[in-house]
Amino acid sequence: MPPTLSFEQAPPISVPYRFFLTAPLFGAVAGLILAVLGPETFASRWSRGALAMTHLIVVDFMLQAMCGSLLQFVAVVAGANIWRPRLVAAIVHPMITAGAILLASAFLFEQPVLFLLAACVFVAALGPFLTVMAVALLRTPARGMSIHVLRLAVLGLLVTVVIGATLAVTLGLASNVHPGVSLLALVNVHVAWGLGGWALMLVIGVSYLVVPMFQLTPAYPVWFARLLPAGLFVVLCVWTLQLGPGVDGAQAWQAGAARAGVVLAGAYAIVTLWLQSRRRRRQTDVTFTLWRGAMLSLLAFAVSWIAFEALPDLGGDSRAPIWLGVLALPGLFLSVITGMLYKIMPFLNWLHLQQQGGTGNSMPNMKQMIPEASMRGQMLLHFTALGLLLAAVAWPALALPAGLALTASCVWLEWNLVGAARLYARVRATMRAATAGPAAQSDHP
Amino acid sequence: MPEPRVIDGRDMEPPEPLERALAELSTLAPGEELVMLLRCEPLPLYSILDRTGFRYESVPGPDGTNEVRIRKA
Repeated sequence: MPPTLSFEQAPPISVPYRFFLTAPLFGAVAGLILAVLGPETFASRWSRGALAMTHLIVVDFMLQAMCGSLLQFVAVVAGANIWRPRLVAAIVHPMITAGAILLASAFLFEQPVLFLLAACVFVAALGPFLTVMAVALLRTPARGMSIHVLRLAVLGLLVTVVIGATLAVTLGLASNVHPGVSLLALVNVHVAWGLGGWALMLVIGVSYLVVPMFQLTPAYPVWFARLLPAGLFVVLCVWTLQLGPGVDGAQAWQAGAARAGVVLAGAYAIVTLWLQSRRRRRQTDVTFTLWRGAMLSLLAFAVSWIAFEALPDLGGDSRAPIWLGVLALPGLFLSVITGMLYKIMPFLNWLHLQQQGGTGNSMPNMKQMIPEASMRGQMLLHFTALGLLLAAVAWPALALPAGLALTASCVWLEWNLVGAARLYARVRATMRAATAGPAAQSDHP
Repeated sequence: MPEPRVIDGRDMEPPEPLERALAELSTLAPGEELVMLLRCEPLPLYSILDRTGFRYESVPGPDGTNEVRIRKA
């Protein structure tokens, strides 16, 4: 029997919602940075605009949404008892927001002191978050591949934060805190753990549950579900060996490890697309299409990586990493997160209202929580923005429309999510008034 | 004995089976039975049934279908 959801441990709705409602705002800011700074942003992965945009997307959009989802998901899927989720959210959410603003500003304005401040804030925010998550995931009696993969993802976030903080301190002090380890090797390992060990691992763990359950597909093949996260983890460990003393950054085994990781990621995309093609219901919704777009982006990422290796003239261009970054960040991760938010928020609205006594007549159903047409319009704008961003890598003059499209897409997403949160508040208020009404009348005849 | 009401939720996206079950339960007469066919253990439904005075039994089938039989307590 497939894994099951349990809502006994679900945290208050305000815990995930504060993360969800913040996330798209910073995607909008990332788009504005591209629009304002223009073509120079996509000239190289090391440009201040590219670094600021990247961290606004990975930290403020992705990390916000993923932390909020994890607080909800771990409680519901693992039945894990998260220590004081309201307090954790009240501490972690504003600090991640502040840390991401500091980090993006540090890159944008090239201010070393801001790197130091960002490092302090992130360690202070994510230290408690990781501790609470690790305890919850280690103590849960639940079993299953999703739980194991979530544990690996939390470990991946820990490694990412430690190396990221080391990098920030290095940049803040303008001196290498680890002589003998090149800055490039630190960046390589930080990026691999952040995107592969944390973000992709989390998507994989979540997909084992939500793809079969919500998209009505067959389950992931058991052998593949076991091999994929284990293989990815081994590849990341091998890749990390480049931080060892005296290791040459260009060694063949490193290229082999990277290639193996990319092949695993590509295989995951192919298997997910294959499962989606075998779904039991022919109807498609916005979440399904966003997942499909995400998996096609991941597949394009893997194919592009292999092509860049095979064609050194192409792969050696300073814009090649930007191309890969666009496929990975807006293409894969923002698509998946958007699709999941469109499923999670209506579900949580419905669930919490129902738990407060809502009935079929007094509350909207799942499909009424966010208008379908509005979600579909936003999704089309998101994919348009993705296309423009990819085109802007090749034709830098398109940076302005690409940035504006990304901003517009994120603003529309925010509008849709705020609409769902407001609908929840409105229906809850109506239900409470209806409950209080007869009581008030009996008190005051 | 009246024919049981049946909800085949095997090809429905969550929480549609739960939504339909709650609609049916609101009109379920004493002695009448609601049968749900699902591909999972509906733990959220069980907690609602426990709270609202229904009894239920769950019978896993050989093809992976979980048959949940619900009556008023």
